Amino acid sequence: MSKIIEQPRFSCALGAQQSVVAIPRAVPIVHAGPGCSGKICALIGQGEGYAGGSTIPCTNASGSEIVFGGEERLRGVIDGAFKVIDADLYVVLTGCTSDIVGDDTGRVTRDFQDDDKPIVYAETGGFKSNNYVSHDVVVQAIIEQYVDKFKDEKATLTPGLVNVFATIPYQDPYWNGNLAELKRILEGIGLQVNILFGTESAGIGEWLTIPQAQFNILVSAWPGLEIVKRLEAKYGTPYYHFPYLPIGGNETSKFLRGVSEFGGLDPVKTEAFIRKEEEKFYSHIERTADFMLEFRYGLPRRFYTILDATYAVGFAKYLVNELGILPAKQYIIDDTPAIYQEAIRDHFRHVSELRSAEVVFSVDGGEIQAEIRGEEHKHRSLILGSGWERDLAREIHADLLPISVPITYRLVLNCGYAGYHGGLRAIEDIYDRVLDTYR
Amino acid sequence: MAKKIKQIAIYGKGGIGKSTTTSNISAALVDAGFKVMQVGCDPKSDSTNTLRGGKYIPTILDTLREKNNVKLNEVVFEGFSGIYCVEAGGPAPGVGCAGRGIITAVQLLKQQRAFEELDLDYVIYDVLGDVVCGGFAVPVREGIAEHVFTVSSADFMAVYAANNLFKGIQKYSKSGGALLGGVIANSINAPYAKAIIDDFVKQTQTQVVEYVPRSVTVTQAELQGKTTIEAFPESEQASVYRRLAEKIANHTESKTPAPLEIQDLREWAAKWADELLAMETGEVRSQAAAI
Repeated sequence: MSKIIEQPRFSCALGAQQSVVAIPRAVPIVHAGPGCSGKICALIGQGEGYAGGSTIPCTNASGSEIVFGGEERLRGVIDGAFKVIDADLYVVLTGCTSDIVGDDTGRVTRDFQDDDKPIVYAETGGFKSNNYVSHDVVVQAIIEQYVDKFKDEKATLTPGLVNVFATIPYQDPYWNGNLAELKRILEGIGLQVNILFGTESAGIGEWLTIPQAQFNILVSAWPGLEIVKRLEAKYGTPYYHFPYLPIGGNETSKFLRGVSEFGGLDPVKTEAFIRKEEEKFYSHIERTADFMLEFRYGLPRRFYTILDATYAVGFAKYLVNELGILPAKQYIIDDTPAIYQEAIRDHFRHVSELRSAEVVFSVDGGEIQAEIRGEEHKHRSLILGSGWERDLAREIHADLLPISVPITYRLVLNCGYAGYHGGLRAIEDIYDRVLDTYR
Repeated sequence: MAKKIKQIAIYGKGGIGKSTTTSNISAALVDAGFKVMQVGCDPKSDSTNTLRGGKYIPTILDTLREKNNVKLNEVVFEGFSGIYCVEAGGPAPGVGCAGRGIITAVQLLKQQRAFEELDLDYVIYDVLGDVVCGGFAVPVREGIAEHVFTVSSADFMAVYAANNLFKGIQKYSKSGGALLGGVIANSINAPYAKAIIDDFVKQTQTQVVEYVPRSVTVTQAELQGKTTIEAFPESEQASVYRRLAEKIANHTESKTPAPLEIQDLREWAAKWADELLAMETGEVRSQAAAI
């Protein structure tokens, strides 16, 4: 019998529509029932972007499209989208019903591709996977059906050019800020960066240069691995894998050194950049250390994470090693495939020289909250979770920093937690909540 | 009090003679004075053709495709002697979901209270193939048909389809679904064909309702766009269909069949293949060996 889970912190495969929304001037065309796309926006989206939210063209496939097939309806919607939405890339995504019924979305899309229209398709029926997985599928579809077709055949490898695959847009609410910071620091050590999503991306023109990159950088526990492996097989582009989000001085410098060494960059230039960044970063911490070490109404002594693996490991390393907050149980909620779990456990086993943390892989928010609720709460805790943890945080008098979707109670613009800037921002946000307890 | 409508579903492998049999049963029942509706549940939508001079009628799904609200008089058409003819219809081959189509069509008939409105005695569903998906099982499910009959020849694939149908009936039998009335043995001319079907019903704990021989009379009638009952009412074949209709009319108690597991079915078929081969080569076996 299927198991009911409460409060999953990711979407179905169709959630990859948000990955498309995050590409400048790209638009998803959804072939699904009414409500699917909107629910995804409500869960993980914030803001419509260029052509997201209620702008997304959708077939609203219902009874008639199921019984008779929805191919003609899809054709009509694609036709209409080309007429009324001025975009650089159109990505057709399917929902459960059309995939179950077996609509040949590929054939419909190919008819438009044959006219050299910038359009690709991916099957993202909700039963196929979650959006951590389907994000890869959509990125690969764009590369295989668009980039390969329109790329400059004569272009050769560009030394110093890298493609960065990090964070899943919108599934990571701070995706834009995180990508901006990753781009900033990688440029700082001398790289030219295809960041591919968000305000720092040059849009679909940038995607066309993916095959020319000297190497790819994957900043992720496991999502995205399929992409970089595929690119390695396809174009022979090697990849550097950093398996968590680098947050703060230690880990960001480690990340940059790793990239620099992998790419054979000038170590002097890399070290000079790191030195400059670390100086700035630690000067802020030194300036406020007195407060961060002691506060009359108490400081969070331990933290729970209810996050995906990439964030969980990144935050744990930062909080333990740089802020001295100790790990309570760590809950990983991204439905991590079994083959990647041991590596993640290992990160927590060695989260610092002296500390290790227990990890639980669970997708059931209700179960996780019940477990935390059942623990003894002698000390003030910090919960790195989602908006859904607000009640729990109140009950156990913990501070809540919502990092995961649904973010609900925060408006996110360019805020991010990656890198040096992200590390400082994390401190601001965590200790803001501490100050908020002033009586 | 409203009278009890007898709802019957007739299943069988494609091309086995379901529609021919069903239409002749409908025709015989209407001749006997009953009010009958025949519902074709096959995307080919030709179940009722021989009741209407060989002509196609607009299907429920075609009508639904055009507009959301469909009235009974747009999908129910009178045929031979006032038989109400309905075709569920379906998508073009290779697209959409025909099973969902059957569900939609049957639901529409229920919603519109078609059976009560028309004061029917019999509703006969003529359903495609074996139970290929939930949609095609709808007539077997709770609250639609009470009795299921399957048309089968002695051909192994037809028997396979019948056995699959039995599995569907068995599945729904626990939740108030229709039960099996028996097998209508079609195209039974050779003695071995009767023996095969007899053995199959014995194995699966059901019965043969009637043996229907293959006959050119049927073909002649269909070429005229008619049932045998209409075209050649005095023929021997018509009397076979009348007898079959009478048995179905008098049938009251259906049972849960005992379908064979796939391996057993294969072994059963292999055993019969050996028998037939022995027969072809003139080998003397079993009872005959004692002579």
